[in-house]
Amino acid sequence: MASVIRLTKSDRMFNAFVVISLLIIFIILFVPIWSTITLSFRPNDFIGTALDGMVLPPWKWSLAAYKSLLGNNSFVKATANSFRIFFEGIATALILTTPLAYALSIKTLPGRKLLYVFIIIPYLFDVGLVPNYLLVTRLGLTNKLAAVYLPGAISVYNTLIMKSFFEGIPEELKESARIDGASEFKVLMRIILPLSKPIMLTIGLYYGVRFWNDFFNAMLYLNDSNLQPLPILLRNILLSSGMNEYVEASAFGEAPIEAIKAASVLLAAIPMLVAYPFIQKYFVKGTMLGSIKG
Amino acid sequence: MAATVSLRKGEPPGRNSSRLWRDIVRHKSIYLLASVSIIYFAIFKYVPIWNSQIAFRDFQALKGVTGSPWIGLKNFSDFVHSYYFGELIRNTVMYSVGKMIISIPSAIFLAVALYECRANFLRKTVQTLAYLPHFLSWVIMYGILMALLSPSSGLLNDIIKLFGGEPISFLTDTKSFPWIVLLSDAWKESGWSAIIFVAALMGIDPSLFEAAMVEGANAWQRVRYITLPSIKPVIVMVFLLRLGTILDAGFNQIFMLYSLPVYSVADIIDTWIYRQGLLEFRFGLATAVGLFKGVIGFVLLFVSNKLVRKFSDTGLY
Repeated sequence: MASVIRLTKSDRMFNAFVVISLLIIFIILFVPIWSTITLSFRPNDFIGTALDGMVLPPWKWSLAAYKSLLGNNSFVKATANSFRIFFEGIATALILTTPLAYALSIKTLPGRKLLYVFIIIPYLFDVGLVPNYLLVTRLGLTNKLAAVYLPGAISVYNTLIMKSFFEGIPEELKESARIDGASEFKVLMRIILPLSKPIMLTIGLYYGVRFWNDFFNAMLYLNDSNLQPLPILLRNILLSSGMNEYVEASAFGEAPIEAIKAASVLLAAIPMLVAYPFIQKYFVKGTMLGSIKG
Repeated sequence: MAATVSLRKGEPPGRNSSRLWRDIVRHKSIYLLASVSIIYFAIFKYVPIWNSQIAFRDFQALKGVTGSPWIGLKNFSDFVHSYYFGELIRNTVMYSVGKMIISIPSAIFLAVALYECRANFLRKTVQTLAYLPHFLSWVIMYGILMALLSPSSGLLNDIIKLFGGEPISFLTDTKSFPWIVLLSDAWKESGWSAIIFVAALMGIDPSLFEAAMVEGANAWQRVRYITLPSIKPVIVMVFLLRLGTILDAGFNQIFMLYSLPVYSVADIIDTWIYRQGLLEFRFGLATAVGLFKGVIGFVLLFVSNKLVRKFSDTGLY
């Protein structure tokens, strides 16, 4: 850079344009979230428009919606189911994805090309809903939480990202371990995995986000109301217009139904908001690996 | 395996196969390790492909996949000749092209604005907030949209009422529904789509900008003649990859947002497959439509990846 940076008039206008654009983008992104947050704290005796609600001072906020949800048996049960799906799903997905990605990353492996074609074909050729539905019901997964995460436990995309990461680990490290007489399994466990914590965390969270958010598999395969995860309950709450148990619960909780809906949306989003900073740290790297290197 | 063998064409066949065998034995623990994943893959990815033969059968649940009678292309012709065929294709393409037209340029705009912003706090705040909605499900998005769009208490309708207008039921009105789909998708995904452009911008050689400044180019000209041309290959790549998935118009989103009054403008191939297959139990028909979509999708993805490789030496796989 030049030692003296003199901003011309058009440069200053450019900088102002950038800042104003980002401020407008900020408002567009922030207002929907803020209006949901304030809606969830709206007290029962609130009178006014949604605009008034957004500027309601925090000391007039009510926790009634959250209290009635957290005290609701089906909400607690659904949250527990969602956490089970989240953790069981991540464990299963990583156990299935890692060996496949590792095998694909070994350049000298006989049959590597064949294995590659084997995983790419279903990735390119998606046969759709019904053939998968027939398989999952045939396997007896109906009314098992595994029905939510098992069909998506190996994502080809995630496998390829992980493979690229493994390929980036210096060959000498593996070679020196092999010379010391370590088996391929030991190389994976002792050398590769300890170096792969960041990618495991990232890929694990990628899977976790998907399993946590899934409502379609849950809707198809989990009919037992005791097994329903949060997105299904949330969907029922959001679609209810006044005649079911959630509205009755709200009558006891002394919160308006809109507040209950907004609060349930935010509670269901919290785990993702907690996981998000961890993912954000790595996902730029991950996205680049997946799309640029391949 | 064939490739490994043919590489050593010059050697006598006996030694050839023994070396291959030695290679295989040396990696036996890898095969063993990967075998569970491979079996999983065979079951969960290849059995559905096998099951898709019911597209050519009159599927009866009791007779199973292989026991149902063959009916040739009847399911396909039923679909192509049905009243909904044109409507479904039109809606599907409208939504995926519409999303592409809105979200890719807004992602590029966002990425360039973030890249050019000198105010660190503003940049980091917008960046964090913009990536975030990608991680929210469409169920949660529906809840957020209700807070904005609900005719009785939504923010947008309160503003309309404030100016003396009549509240609009955005999600059940055929005129507004497509816009809600397109704009809510842009709100949710533009930030995420911007990541790849941000990464590409980071790779621009700073000396280009220095040279331009010495030459007297102003900031607008630098964006026009350096920044945008530098990320052009990435822009082309993203467009091409999106073309490969043109028949995926966003099932989860439409499924959460649509309802009977807006089916004519909301129904896409995937939502129709769901209703025909799992609500009306017309498994054969639904599978045929899925296969139709799958084959076209395969060709599009394959071609778009080939083009991407040709233009920019990179690809998805």
